[in-house]
Amino acid sequence: MIYNPAYVRRRKVKSLIALSLSTLAAFLGLFWLGFILFDVLRHGIEGINLSLFLEDPAPPGIPGGGLRNAFVGQLLIVFYATIIGVPVGLLAGIFIAEYARGTKFARTVSILSDIMVSVPSIVVGTFIYAILVQPVGSINLGGLIAVGFLSAIVAIIFGAILSFIVNRIFKITSEIAGKISNITISTLTVLFGIFVFLILSSKLVDKVQGFNGWSGAVSLAFIMIPVVLRTTEDMLSLVPWTLREAAFALGASYYKVIKDISIRAAITGILTGIILSIARVAGETAPLLFTSFNNSYFTTNMNEPMSSLTVTIFNYAMGPYEDWHIKAWAAALVITIFILFITIVSRAIISWRYRS
Amino acid sequence: MRGLLKKYPLSDILFALISFSASFIVLSLIIATALVLYDESALAIHRFGILNFIFSAEWDPVREVFGAASSLYGTLVTTVLSLLFAIPVSIGIAIFLTEISPHILKTPIGIAVEMLAAIPSIIYGMWGLFTLAPIMANYIEPFLQKTVGKIPIIGLLFQGTPQGIDLFTASVILSIMITPFITSITRDALNLTPDIMKESAYALGATKWEVVKDVMIPYAKLGIYGGVVLALGRALGETMAVAFVLGNNHQIPISLFEAAATITVTLANEFTEADSDIYLSSLFYLALILFTLSFVVLAIAKFFLLKAERGYSR
Repeated sequence: MIYNPAYVRRRKVKSLIALSLSTLAAFLGLFWLGFILFDVLRHGIEGINLSLFLEDPAPPGIPGGGLRNAFVGQLLIVFYATIIGVPVGLLAGIFIAEYARGTKFARTVSILSDIMVSVPSIVVGTFIYAILVQPVGSINLGGLIAVGFLSAIVAIIFGAILSFIVNRIFKITSEIAGKISNITISTLTVLFGIFVFLILSSKLVDKVQGFNGWSGAVSLAFIMIPVVLRTTEDMLSLVPWTLREAAFALGASYYKVIKDISIRAAITGILTGIILSIARVAGETAPLLFTSFNNSYFTTNMNEPMSSLTVTIFNYAMGPYEDWHIKAWAAALVITIFILFITIVSRAIISWRYRS
Repeated sequence: MRGLLKKYPLSDILFALISFSASFIVLSLIIATALVLYDESALAIHRFGILNFIFSAEWDPVREVFGAASSLYGTLVTTVLSLLFAIPVSIGIAIFLTEISPHILKTPIGIAVEMLAAIPSIIYGMWGLFTLAPIMANYIEPFLQKTVGKIPIIGLLFQGTPQGIDLFTASVILSIMITPFITSITRDALNLTPDIMKESAYALGATKWEVVKDVMIPYAKLGIYGGVVLALGRALGETMAVAFVLGNNHQIPISLFEAAATITVTLANEFTEADSDIYLSSLFYLALILFTLSFVVLAIAKFFLLKAERGYSR
């Protein structure tokens, strides 16, 4: 084409306009973030005081009181969700990244959990409602699962301490003595776990009477599992395969390689992923609406309906009282700061660890 | 079994079994969700049928007649509108982050945009109800009525008294929420354009915008599709942000300035109040429809993203 200044100028102007619009879009994104955060801060700071954390709610319409029940309920629900969700997600992630690496099964699970991450959380709520809230009168399976995982974790810690002590006291050198002590320690660990489970389940788990805290924990765990699975898988696949081969060459079993090589190499990423997944479920509301429901009284009994910060925000913000609105904003501020802080710190850790 | 024991130590077999069952749980959870939802909604499926339920706009708990059309309509309108708002903005941000921004600003702005995805949806909802809805009702919606609302046919979309609690506000909030999803995937896809392709375009005398438009975007096409469809899946299932600002009104309004309902909002508001079996079953039916819809949409998104990944690695 013959050089035509007008044509070139037109193209340049067009480029300038398009690029300015892109820059504008970026500022629009920043504007929304700033607007939302500033608004939450501005409204929330009003309601932040000690009694918000230390007192239970006052009767509707009467000012004063706090949200102690919601804070404690939220902590309990998220705690049990973590107890269930992390082991399952972690183990499943290890299986598909190590034992089943590259197989069709691994790919299917990986793709399905990617889909599960984005499945509407309210659908999870309806599913858990159908299996853990509706069957009134039967024993609470969600509670049994949660307590089962809890006792397994306690037993594993117990076993680790036991073997540490035994190795310190007796300097075991012969192979047979090592085997005997291993078997004894494992048996004791399993027995201890069963013992803990029997005691805890009889104390903590009751029959289903309707909405209950256990079902809330299970529905959050449902959301947590695929998130933990995917990060574990990603982090493990970043560990170079040659590292494992070196250990195999020394005669280590795959279990030993996973325990001492793969996980050790990927531990920062996996732990950060777990913390991110906790932050993610801490802000979930929809799955709790029909599972743990809400409770205006203080309770630590997971068999009863249990209030959580997020559901409380929903009810208070939709409610008619000005005082409720202030409390909802304050709770919103607390939860936003918590989640943003955790997210930023864990992202910083990941980018620092995987800089190269 | 004995051969296996001889070949591998017991700890290895046990650990493999335990971790296999954990990954099996993941598979069974998603199948169980589909089965349980189907089982719970069987009553409503039997009573109302499939097409009849989807296209019936009646939602009357008193007469116990239920249809999904009003909720589906709300879901579709909010999703489509929010995508319309979000796609240009997100792609603009992605272009800014890859091509325009000075190097020092890339990380902080990128993180800031991703923070939008970390904010819990209940915060969006609350902010929408107390801050955005009044702004919409007092300034933006009257302004739209005065300008675009005067155009003959399009004007029908902007009728009515601006309340702020309507389809339009809900879509704006949704669009803010899904922006980070499209942005981060588009940015990653754009970043993968080989430098040599960009440089050859520059050498031919292309302007920066022409390089972006004719080289980078076509190269990143599949990734962008994936991001958009993923955001679509997200928007379909978003509950709390919409529940605050939509009003849960079972109707099919022409105007965008009217209260309506989406599947998620209907579930959130009515699930605990359902007093008859058929009511509850119909709600489960809605959940099943939503589950199927979002599962299909997310599978398509995953298909695009996998295909894009394979294309880039070639």
